[in-house]
Amino acid sequence: MSVQLALRLTALVLLLRPMGPWTLRPLILAAAGLALLSPRVLMSSWTWYGLTALLAARIVADWPLPDNHVYLLMYWCLAISLALGAATPDRVLMTSARLLIGTAFLMAIIWKGMLSPDYLDGRFFRVTWLTDERFGDAVQLFGQLSQPQLDHNRVALRPMPEGARLVHPPSLEEPSAFRHLVLASTWGIFTLEALVAVAFLCPPGKRSSMAQHAALLCFCGMTYAIAPVAGFGWLLLTMGLALCRADQQVLRGVYVGTWFLVLMYSEVPWAHLMVAWLSSSTPI
Amino acid sequence: MLHVGGTGQWRSWPPTALLLFIAVTQILLTRTADLSPWKGGGFGMFATTDGTAFRYVRLFVDTPERSDELAVPQSLEDAALRAQLFPSDRFLLRLGEAAAVRERRQGRSVSSVRVEVWKIEFSNTPLRSTERKLRSFTVHFEPAPVSGE
Repeated sequence: MSVQLALRLTALVLLLRPMGPWTLRPLILAAAGLALLSPRVLMSSWTWYGLTALLAARIVADWPLPDNHVYLLMYWCLAISLALGAATPDRVLMTSARLLIGTAFLMAIIWKGMLSPDYLDGRFFRVTWLTDERFGDAVQLFGQLSQPQLDHNRVALRPMPEGARLVHPPSLEEPSAFRHLVLASTWGIFTLEALVAVAFLCPPGKRSSMAQHAALLCFCGMTYAIAPVAGFGWLLLTMGLALCRADQQVLRGVYVGTWFLVLMYSEVPWAHLMVAWLSSSTPI
Repeated sequence: MLHVGGTGQWRSWPPTALLLFIAVTQILLTRTADLSPWKGGGFGMFATTDGTAFRYVRLFVDTPERSDELAVPQSLEDAALRAQLFPSDRFLLRLGEAAAVRERRQGRSVSSVRVEVWKIEFSNTPLRSTERKLRSFTVHFEPAPVSGE
């Protein structure tokens, strides 16, 4: 049951975020569409080997542009292909999902904690919150920065030529709520990702299984409310759902609910609506 | 005795092995060839400012009479994006050649195209940004050969 549902959701991910050059895109869409419509196509390992090959071709054709979740989607399609050829597909797919999620999060932690020079000191989120317009509403909402303050900061952060310095450089406006937002996002995401990595890479057991689901659901429910990469969230949730045992119907329901919550996050500009509502309800 | 193929559990490992192989390769490429940590399958996204938003390309077209900087036209955006995220000889050459073809199509002569890849870096206290050139690559057109710096 979990396997079929995970496969259907994977096909849905491929349909919701069409990808690749025009030569590959129709083939990916056709295979994913057929898999959704026909249970036989859905449960054939050849369908998924084909999709793995198409996604690999997409990555090669567009290299280095594809985002990381496209790679993860390719590994996941390969995992499905291999699992469907096994005597116990659900068990093989469970192990694959656990290893893939754990390793992907481990790499994310290695990058943030060891390889990146500007993550742990808060620079990444400080710069991203201030300059990335996709996060403008969230920064106004949680960082208590107004649009004029954001505009001022963006001008102040315009780059200087190497070695050049202004005599009177403009100062940044960073209220304490914004500093707290930077601190919370830097360490909150790092901690959450570390928890997911540890929970999924620990030897399987009842206790670690609950920790896995709690950490992954918490990560997806919070991160994709802000991060504009719903495709990554859907994929992680689909892989998490594949880890549910047959008797865990409620947990499966929570995964499907969170999957659609991420869909809502991506389609409803909730932060923008809240900023607009707050500014209209604030007395002048 | 270990039955490797008995339960089929070996089938769980190839996808993760592939993930690890590509992720380690990505780390090597970021360290040796200036691949952006956000790209290449190493899961370095949202870990550093060194992504698409803070890298850019500049194109300079030289003829015997003039030297002009070109704004990257829409038709070259894809090639420019690849070059800025992974400034390899191959992508820089491809971009330089495409820029020259475009110039010639518009009736302008080209003797060389210089492609520069720049990165914006941020210091922490105080938070300031500076530009740094990552690579410069010049493509010469007849009779001079192609050369890189």
